[in-house]
Amino acid sequence: MIRELFDRRLLVVAGKGGVGKTTVACALALEAVRAGKRTVVAEVDGSGRAAALLGAEPLAAGESRELRPNLHVLAIDGKASLQEYLGMVIPIKRLLDAVFSSRIYNYFVAAAPGLKELMTIGKIWYEAERVDDTTGERRWDLVILDAPATGHSVQYLRMPQAAHDAFGAGLVARESRRVLDLLRDPERTAINVVTTAEEMPVNETIEMQEQIFDELQMPPGFLFANQLHRAEFARSDVERVKAAAAKLRAREDRSLLREVVRRAQGELGWAEINASYLARLRREVDLPLVEIPHLFAEEFGLEQVREIAGHIAHAAASLASKRSAG
Amino acid sequence: MKTLDSVLDRHQVIVCAGSGGVGKTTTAAAIALYGAQRGARTVVLTIDPARRLADALGLHEVSGEMGGGERQIPISGKGSLSALMLDQKGAWDALVERLAPSAEVRDRILGNRFYQHLSQSFAGSQEYMAVEQLCQLHDDGNYDLIVVDTPPTQHALDFLEAPQRIADFLDKNVIKWFVKPYFSAGWATFRFVNRTAGVVFRKLEEATGVAALSEVSEFFHAMGGLFEGFEERVRRVYRLLRAPETAFVLVASPEEQVLREAEHFCRTVAELHMSLRAVVFNRVHTGYSGNGHGADREHLESLLARVQAGAAAAALAENFLRVEEEARGDMVRMESFRRGLGKNVAVAEVPNFAADLHDMAGLAQMHPHLFTAAA
Repeated sequence: MIRELFDRRLLVVAGKGGVGKTTVACALALEAVRAGKRTVVAEVDGSGRAAALLGAEPLAAGESRELRPNLHVLAIDGKASLQEYLGMVIPIKRLLDAVFSSRIYNYFVAAAPGLKELMTIGKIWYEAERVDDTTGERRWDLVILDAPATGHSVQYLRMPQAAHDAFGAGLVARESRRVLDLLRDPERTAINVVTTAEEMPVNETIEMQEQIFDELQMPPGFLFANQLHRAEFARSDVERVKAAAAKLRAREDRSLLREVVRRAQGELGWAEINASYLARLRREVDLPLVEIPHLFAEEFGLEQVREIAGHIAHAAASLASKRSAG
Repeated sequence: MKTLDSVLDRHQVIVCAGSGGVGKTTTAAAIALYGAQRGARTVVLTIDPARRLADALGLHEVSGEMGGGERQIPISGKGSLSALMLDQKGAWDALVERLAPSAEVRDRILGNRFYQHLSQSFAGSQEYMAVEQLCQLHDDGNYDLIVVDTPPTQHALDFLEAPQRIADFLDKNVIKWFVKPYFSAGWATFRFVNRTAGVVFRKLEEATGVAALSEVSEFFHAMGGLFEGFEERVRRVYRLLRAPETAFVLVASPEEQVLREAEHFCRTVAELHMSLRAVVFNRVHTGYSGNGHGADREHLESLLARVQAGAAAAALAENFLRVEEEARGDMVRMESFRRGLGKNVAVAEVPNFAADLHDMAGLAQMHPHLFTAAA
């Protein structure tokens, strides 16, 4: 099932800020590479998160870098993409230099509403469809977009339609149509959503479902519920320890057990919150759900991304077997 | 540890900033509630609260108008608490209304398609309007304390730079460029004036279709009449952000990426001559400070066996140790972040509550960690 996902050309990974989009995007990339796909993780707005998480130095705007065979990161920047695009449309270097250094051009780029978003999503289309001049082969098998936080993501995804509508005729309208065709094609694209099982991220996920899948008609991929707490003990265990600990004579033991109890209650509390919002996600979001446990770690890095990649592969496999059984 | 007590005592405006997903909105609401309970006439300007927090703040169906959309929230104590939700489009319209020299100019701007797009989705527009509404609340003078929650931008800095960006956008010299001579006199004339630019504009024309660009031109024509008022407004906005009565509170979680952005934020705040007065770390895992072999697995398990933990002993011990590990990471990251902070920056740590904090009681739970006097 996850393999089917990797047969697409573009995977968008969207969600609220702070839920772990980059982690999931990078974990998907590791799995895609394992499945033999030439994969590029694209980050936008100079976030630098994907590169950092995969253990690479920050990328310059517009730069791409190979981290290991079949795995690249690419920093997409609206302005750099526009220059690249204009370079293709106006192939005279002297003229281009004059354009790029003119105040009015820079002003236009900064001011034109939606231009940055349009160029970014256009660049993503270009990379997803890009063919190598010499070999005639596609440059990448798979582009994974680590999308910005929800509100911004929707702005990006909305842009091609808006541009198409605003500029009824002309080059922009034609190019926008092609980008839109890619974004709406279930053979080539899947929009995945990452969330944690908590109030705000779940609300945003539900709103996003309406905006992206219902309204914009883009093809859904997976819903990843990240950072799930699952207590491996019962409340009754904790209550029993709490009662018995109060009777202990040594003060140090009592205080240590108080902390054990407090942390156990914390974990139980989060587990309950997560369970109730997971239930809500199941009821209200019509996407195959992959559950990812909360990882306890002193620092979060490539090792944790690998662990999450394993969870995703495992969960997706069991989802697939459930489906074929049911 | 210094907490936020003196920040609250000495400032009239508190701006809560930080990356998305760190609990800015909740922190802003908690600070406002505390100020109100201590007797201040308080307003919290919020951007996008969780539904339950919005309910708690009485904001379910609010589309706030400038200075008019505040909702009063019943609280205990002498002060009062109002909440106001940012309405970006409404705030732009109100601004145009105020600055436009005539009703005719106002209508031309409000009806312009480019303006409508700008007021809804121009990058930085929401950020700018948050400051603009703050200014308005401050000018009205109805409150002793104004707490502002900033928009959930990936980079917290967008908030600080937005007024300048909007000012650049409406810079009179640039507007001149757009208005004269080619737009007003027609592009054909312009092509003879400057061949290089002529090619560029022909390309733009092909790309966009002239109709769209004439909307832009029309917009700038109309805006030309009010940019002077706008420039003054932006200067006023920056004066307030730099005023001694304004304090910035950075909200962060002790995660690496968040703190990296936070460091950048601190530097920029200083460069812009604004004052960062406090840092609030949310969702902090607190380490166990017991002495001896407190965090040793064997000791924990044997101790748990003595209190009839039974089969759960191993899992309970494991849970304790995992949190300890997270706490160690949080501690190291917060420590190194703190070293870069000035001496007069207060730091508060709010623990990782096992609950979504979305009601008044939940907000009050944060108070002992934010304010020493509430502990």
